Amino acid sequence: MIGMLKDFLLLAGQSILHRKMRSWLTVIGVFIGITAVVALISIGLGLNKTIDEQVSKVFGVDTFMLVSEGAFGPGRNGGAASEYALDLDALRSIDGVKVAAALRERTGFVVGPTGPDGKAKQGFLTVMGLSSELMTDFSSFTGPLDVEPGGRMFEPGEIDVAVLGSRIAERLGADVGDTITIAGDGDAELQMRVIGIMALSDQPDGSDQGFRMGAGGPDADTIYVPYAAMDRLWGDANDVLITLARVKKGYDVEEVADRVEEELNAGGADITAVTYSDISDAIGTMTSTVSAFLAGIAGIALLVGAVGVMNTMFTSVLERTREIGVMKAVGAKNSHILLIFLIESGMMGLVGGIVGTGLGLGLSAVASAFIGRFFSVRMAVVASPGLILITLAGSFLLGAIAGLWPARRAAKLPPVEALRYE
Amino acid sequence: MIMPLLDLKGVTKDYRMGKVVVRALRGLDLAISPGEIVAIMGPSGSGKSTLMHILGALDTPTGGRAMIDRRDLTELRERDLVRLRGRRIGFVFQTFNLIQTLSAQRNVELPMIFQGVRRSERARRAKELLEKVGLGERRAHKPSELSGGERQRVAIARALANDPEIILADEPTGNLDSESGAQILALLERLSREDGKTVIIVTHDPEAAAIADRIIRLKDGRVIGDDRDA
Repeated sequence: MIGMLKDFLLLAGQSILHRKMRSWLTVIGVFIGITAVVALISIGLGLNKTIDEQVSKVFGVDTFMLVSEGAFGPGRNGGAASEYALDLDALRSIDGVKVAAALRERTGFVVGPTGPDGKAKQGFLTVMGLSSELMTDFSSFTGPLDVEPGGRMFEPGEIDVAVLGSRIAERLGADVGDTITIAGDGDAELQMRVIGIMALSDQPDGSDQGFRMGAGGPDADTIYVPYAAMDRLWGDANDVLITLARVKKGYDVEEVADRVEEELNAGGADITAVTYSDISDAIGTMTSTVSAFLAGIAGIALLVGAVGVMNTMFTSVLERTREIGVMKAVGAKNSHILLIFLIESGMMGLVGGIVGTGLGLGLSAVASAFIGRFFSVRMAVVASPGLILITLAGSFLLGAIAGLWPARRAAKLPPVEALRYE
Repeated sequence: MIMPLLDLKGVTKDYRMGKVVVRALRGLDLAISPGEIVAIMGPSGSGKSTLMHILGALDTPTGGRAMIDRRDLTELRERDLVRLRGRRIGFVFQTFNLIQTLSAQRNVELPMIFQGVRRSERARRAKELLEKVGLGERRAHKPSELSGGERQRVAIARALANDPEIILADEPTGNLDSESGAQILALLERLSREDGKTVIIVTHDPEAAAIADRIIRLKDGRVIGDDRDA
């Protein structure tokens, strides 16, 4: 039977080559569809991979973040703007947590340094408390937090120091070395020494530097103070925007994240732990939905190609009716005839698949380079052997399926009628 | 008496053409013994082609009994009919009916492909058969590169591929000049005399009839004459 298949392959091939022009036109119809599908799938996969890489670069695979429950997930764009209560020390004591950092934000009454006129400027301003670990352990997450020359960011252990957003510094008339006063709940009040002015970022869109993800990001209108200072001013944290935690070596990030979520929520919190894979899954779901949609549209082109194959095969069956009769007269079974025609249409599909895969991958490489340049990232080009193999098998199958109907018609031709056909 | 190889008794064949039923054979009796050369003659519409198709197991009778080697065609399954055509019957057509895309060699191999004959064995036998019909040098030629007489010789070689007992030739000289026709007839005669094949020729050609042992005359779907030549 295998040997027979080889002979049928030769018979089908000779018949295809005999009608070069028509076969090529049919193949073109197929490969346009395949090209579109392969290119779109490959671009989609590349996009997914690139986003994944970017996410993992920023986020780290051993890190998770806490956001208020419901802030993350389908329907929300990953924002973490809702505030929530958090016991940072409790978090740090959970098994597997290596380091944790949080960021909380309040609007507080702030009094600037006394000016030359003897008056101090004052107002309600945004005060943001940062764990020093944010700078030391999660710098990839926060991005560069540069202060202007002459100043510095606060260091672990410091409490009564502040770094001012550039516009705040201007409004309060404060400079490095000055003291400002921040009033908290009740009588709480802290004298804070200004140790730095936040440098304006060099981002072209004018936005300020830092915080690539999550909480609003530092801006020129915020006062930055150590996290511990916030505790003194406003007590236990119920105004946390975002918390980051890294797990110890050898611990599974998902497992620790689940435990943290469970334990903290049992303690009255209302948070969700978001890991790297949650984020890339969410983005992946989005991008694969989009690319599946696009591939679906490309599939229509494929369908048109398949109809082309069917048309060609019907013509071929008609033209070769006599030939079919002869083959039957010399002992061909119906199944032999069916197979010869299926192989013929499958081969046209396969050739279309080979050409289409090549063109599709090429197209995807070009498009990736283009997209990459546009978003200034190195876009991954995905050309997995699996994808190629599936495409080739699929295109053979597409051809064969398109040829099934004509081939069945050929196989069922009564030999006498086929021989009589002019 | 020798057991007939082909034995038809009261065979009828109806064709439905639209709403009209055409009766191509109307109770035909015919027995053909192994090794005979039989010419079947008759005006067009006499049922020659229909008879040919039944003798070749390409079609089955509507009524009556058609035995090929003691097996009733009407009782055979499609599978067995296919096997019969493939192994025991060789066809030669008026228009040669070679596959245009295949070389002479591959055309002769074709019937063997469907019988699952091994490649090397197939090639050897096709070469041998083409040499037998005098085309040993033209094996690689496509039908379009061969003359009419040569094409018909390729067709005869193809008919012999699976070494059948019966050769059915439908107007084998109809599309040939007289010289080529004479060569073909000589070849068919040799197949009977030397190899013991049963050769049945449907023909208008008196030259073809001349090599026959018997001439069966058909009219209106019946045998009206059966001349045993000297």
